[in-house]
Amino acid sequence: MNSHNSSSAISVRNLWKVFGDNPEKIVNSSDADLSRSELREKTGNTAAVKNVSFDVAPGEVFVVMGLSGSGKSTLVRCLTRLIEPTAGSVLFNGEDVLKADPARLRELRRTAFSMVFQHFGLLPHRKVIDNIAYSLEINGVKKIERHKRAQEVIELVGLQGYSEAYPEQLSGGMQQRVGLARALAVDPQVMFLDEPFSALDPLIRRDMQTEVIRLHKEVGKTMIFITHDLSEAMKLGDRIAIMRDGAVVQMGTAEDLIGKPADTYVADFMRDISKSHVLTLRYLARPARPGEATDGPELDSSTIIRDASQVISQQMKPVRVSENGKAIGIVSSEDILKLISGDAN
Amino acid sequence: MKQKFRGRAATASLFVTLGLLLAACSGSGVDQAATTTEDTAATPAVECGEVGIAMHAWVGYTATANVLTEIAKKEFDCTVNQVELAEAGVTYDAMESGSVDVVVEDWGGGRWQEWVDRGSVVELGPNGQEGLIGMYVPKWMADEYPDITDSANLNKYADLFKTSESGGKGAWLEGPPGYTTIGEKMIEANKLNFKAINTGSETALIDAFTDGQKNKKAVIGYWYTPQYFNAQVELARINFPDNDWTDAAEASGLTDYPATPLIKLASKKLMDSGSPFATLLQNFSWSNEDQNAVAADIEGGMDPAAAAQKWIDANPDKVQAWLG
Amino acid sequence: MISAIKEIKTRYLILIILGVWAVLAIIFKGVATLELATYQNTFVTQTANDAAASIRGNRTQSAAFIYFFNPIRGFISGFVELIRMLIAIPAPNSIIPVLGWLGVIGVVTFFVFLTSNFRTTILAVSLLFGCGLLGMWTDSMDTIAMTLAAVILSLSIGIPLGIWAGLSDRVLKVLTPFLDLAQILPTLVYLAPLALFFLIGTASATIATMVYSIPLSIRITSHAIRSLNNSPIEASISMGATGKQTLTKVQLPMGKQMIVLGINQTVMAALSFVVIAALIGSPGLGGPIINALTIRNVGDGFVAGLAVVFIAIMLDRSTSAAAKTKQTFVPPSKKEIQQRRMSLAGMGIFAIVCIWLSRNVLWAAIWPKQLDVSEIVASNTNTVTDWTTDNLRFITVSFKDFISNYVLNSIQALLAGSPWFITITMIALIAYLLGGRKVALLAIGLMLLIVACGLWYETMVTLTQTLVATMLTMILGVILGVWIGRSQKAYKILRPFLDAGQTLPAFVYLVPILGLFGPSRFTAIVTGIVYSIPVVVKIVGEGIKGVSTTMIEAATAAGSNAWQLITKVQLPAAKRSLLLATNQGLIFVLAVVVIGGFVGSGGLGYLVIVGGSKPELQGKGLVAGFSILLLGVMIDRIAHASARKYGN
Repeated sequence: MNSHNSSSAISVRNLWKVFGDNPEKIVNSSDADLSRSELREKTGNTAAVKNVSFDVAPGEVFVVMGLSGSGKSTLVRCLTRLIEPTAGSVLFNGEDVLKADPARLRELRRTAFSMVFQHFGLLPHRKVIDNIAYSLEINGVKKIERHKRAQEVIELVGLQGYSEAYPEQLSGGMQQRVGLARALAVDPQVMFLDEPFSALDPLIRRDMQTEVIRLHKEVGKTMIFITHDLSEAMKLGDRIAIMRDGAVVQMGTAEDLIGKPADTYVADFMRDISKSHVLTLRYLARPARPGEATDGPELDSSTIIRDASQVISQQMKPVRVSENGKAIGIVSSEDILKLISGDAN
Repeated sequence: MKQKFRGRAATASLFVTLGLLLAACSGSGVDQAATTTEDTAATPAVECGEVGIAMHAWVGYTATANVLTEIAKKEFDCTVNQVELAEAGVTYDAMESGSVDVVVEDWGGGRWQEWVDRGSVVELGPNGQEGLIGMYVPKWMADEYPDITDSANLNKYADLFKTSESGGKGAWLEGPPGYTTIGEKMIEANKLNFKAINTGSETALIDAFTDGQKNKKAVIGYWYTPQYFNAQVELARINFPDNDWTDAAEASGLTDYPATPLIKLASKKLMDSGSPFATLLQNFSWSNEDQNAVAADIEGGMDPAAAAQKWIDANPDKVQAWLG
Repeated sequence: MISAIKEIKTRYLILIILGVWAVLAIIFKGVATLELATYQNTFVTQTANDAAASIRGNRTQSAAFIYFFNPIRGFISGFVELIRMLIAIPAPNSIIPVLGWLGVIGVVTFFVFLTSNFRTTILAVSLLFGCGLLGMWTDSMDTIAMTLAAVILSLSIGIPLGIWAGLSDRVLKVLTPFLDLAQILPTLVYLAPLALFFLIGTASATIATMVYSIPLSIRITSHAIRSLNNSPIEASISMGATGKQTLTKVQLPMGKQMIVLGINQTVMAALSFVVIAALIGSPGLGGPIINALTIRNVGDGFVAGLAVVFIAIMLDRSTSAAAKTKQTFVPPSKKEIQQRRMSLAGMGIFAIVCIWLSRNVLWAAIWPKQLDVSEIVASNTNTVTDWTTDNLRFITVSFKDFISNYVLNSIQALLAGSPWFITITMIALIAYLLGGRKVALLAIGLMLLIVACGLWYETMVTLTQTLVATMLTMILGVILGVWIGRSQKAYKILRPFLDAGQTLPAFVYLVPILGLFGPSRFTAIVTGIVYSIPVVVKIVGEGIKGVSTTMIEAATAAGSNAWQLITKVQLPAAKRSLLLATNQGLIFVLAVVVIGGFVGSGGLGYLVIVGGSKPELQGKGLVAGFSILLLGVMIDRIAHASARKYGN
């Protein structure tokens, strides 16, 4: 676990963030195991991020999920050093971001990283187009050029016709589109999204989630996505890390988390999720039992179970599940029924 | 928004620059008109320029200052700034800094010496008037208690003067902060059963005496001549033993205030400038009666400048003598 | 619950202390009070006198003056002179300022319209006309020029420092004690030391005004930067902007509105100070007002005071309108901009015509005498005041006597009339009960320092007046505060008075108050009440308004009547506001009670004033100023500590 994975886009090792005086003393000490209130009582410190390590593959959507106060927002800020971490390392293409000098850090932020914020963080005194062009502007790009690029991104996120508007004239959802566009404008390698949709209405939120999936397909950026909403995590994340009290409790695919919750905390979380809505056929696929038909219709393993259930219940036969053209097993309608009835409990 | 702001700022600064250029380039028409109409006025050898007169609060001072101001404006085309200032230290400092040049009536008994030694202030000698400070009661008290005007009998009447401010003793209304006062010493040296109340202003004294005479209230307070107020409310002077001092800081307190010749002061800057105002000031001298005549008009509601002009018109020979 | 019991216990303990103190004060009446005649000096005041004399003597020789103080004085008075030449005093080679009165009106019309709207422009111009009608044109222009000069210099220091303090916690930490001190320090105190180094004149007056207004502008600017929505700033940093880029492209544009509000506050502070600064040679309306105070002339003082009010309203409305016009970041439409440009151009032409006229036609250059109603206003004011004082004096004086004999004299007997060490012990005990050990020790230290300075008795006289004035202010302030907190209508009625009270320099109402109460400590106290009541009423009113409606609904549902609602629900719930109001009240009162030295209050204020005029007492005046500062810090710390202890 301590060696960095060289093929990763982002590789985080033993990252710590402790607030308060003499934060280094808490790192790796037994005090770090104390609960938040006990630690504050004892030393006056708060350990917001405790010994976190993970790797994100290029093009992957990596979701960090946790309740408020779990340290997820601090974690994402540590990655680009909006908050200076106390200890650990963050490798980006093999370079330790934490060791970069201020000029190099600015360069990374200008070219390689970009971020989307929960409260949008738009500049109220600038038009949409100038908001989107802001990062190019501070990079010294000429006005004509940066407006041309901004116009491209405006079309990419579906903001046509709004380039002359001011943020306060837009709805929340539209404002976050501007946020997304701004993050895309510099063509970054990694995007950090800090609860980007938490401030939006549920309906708008679903649209925006779909939008992110679409954008991800189109531009293929590596994304680190922070959320407190489990279904959002399941819907968007290739992999999910669950944080609690500053530490990562469990990390894995949605199936891993539901199938093998690491502890009761994770299990409690998963209980409320309606599994058929988030899990894919991969989760249910099993070898055919003797006597079962193996000539049913073929479905891809990434199909959400709920979407597959109609096909399966119409068929009298189990469907065949394939991944990358290879059969990995079958799923019968009873399997699905069992899962759904489990949901109901 | 930014564009709008820039636009506005640009318009504004353009406008200001244009306006001021216009103002600076075109010699103002008002000035030209002024010079043509004043061809008749005497043209002095040296221009008078600006003179600052320190204005002290009492009416007599206002009278003197305005007479000098009007003469200087008419005869020498001076620009006179009248600056309200407290007496003594404040004014001497102002003369040293160049904010004012002239004091027409100083009672300070030599406090200016330090500034004279430093070469910032010049003492021009007496202005012809004589000042007399003392302790006074309203006239009705002297009528009712004839022996009260002798300081030896004051303690007999101390109870009459008690107020909420005086802590069981008689209230002795002391003069304003800048004035020459030795009340505390007088009380102590003469073992008077009084307490000095620092009234802080001449207004307070005028109020107290007016109220005292009108409503037959017992008041004892600091007062002085020349002062036009004396003609409005009659006061009786308390007689202390004859004085033994000239410098208030050295006074024993046993004796009365002395009669003081009132002094003219000017800044070294003014005296060195050769301004005709300097000559005017040096020659200037008038009596308590002269001052009272002007002060009476001002108190009567006349504009100080007008009151001064009235006196100037009535006394051409005196004015002519000052012009030298 | 425990804290409530503690509070009741504290109350009884304080009563016991006061009882013991009273007994001791009677036994040791007049013993060791350290009372001093005005002309007497102690070791410290004599040393200060000598030091002041030697500083005065060195003004023409010492390097500090030649290379430091005098050049600063020269620069500032030169700058002030330039601005005064624009509107107030004759420009070089001319008998009129660059702009005659009509020119000023034209320029004001243009600029107020530029920064705000048509209505405000009309208001500003009519107020300017008012100043002229009052026969105060030149004095008004001097006051405006002095204010403008001080504001420009203050902002050029205050805004950059404020931005720095807004960006850096360390800078803020360094500045905060100075900012706090500046808020406690009564204005009268720093006039004398400044005059010692910068002499009497416009430079001293401007520097003193700056000392008063810079802290405000630093505070508001740094608050403007600090209170910005953080996420655009974080976004900017996350995109790799440098600190400077974030500052100029994000923080300043977003904070601009509030910084402009800070300008408004700075202007108002400077204006109120310029009036007081007449004491050290500021030209303008302060002179006539102080004159009216020293020789009895309410009428002339009223005329000048009215002109100050006009200028205050004009400057307030035009600068606050500038801050308010942009509630949105969205610019107006193209058509609106077009229209506005047209009317601006119109105004510009109007202004240029005005300027031209004011430079070429006599009636437009110098305010015509025919348009001067000052004598009518003054004589009518005198008639009204004379009638009022004649007919009301018996009421006001009996009230004064009642308060003086029964409240003021008894408290003064405790504080000033008992031996100094007993007073120190008792104050320290009360400070301990109210604020704890640390504050008690601080209070002892400060009081011993005051004793060492030699002005203990005077300090206690001033403290007495401060306490009595605050007590009366709080009684009146809570009544009015509850009233406006409960009734929107009451708020509407009182608001103009509160606003006026806050913008008027205390000097302006000192004269009529003197007329009503005569020269006495009580006159100073009333002035202190008038000055501090707007703040107290506003804070209490806000506190009462802020009590949650659920609480009130619950109490009303339980059948409380209005009196029960006020005493059992609203006032206890607004306790924090009451404590804050008391604290503010104390500091405001202290600032003005010392000005009472002009109207017979005695104490430290009188010594400060005497020190200005009598060179042989200059040092004593300076020490008196220092003692006021020590007293202010003591009062502030005790009030703060007890607010912290009982505020929750």
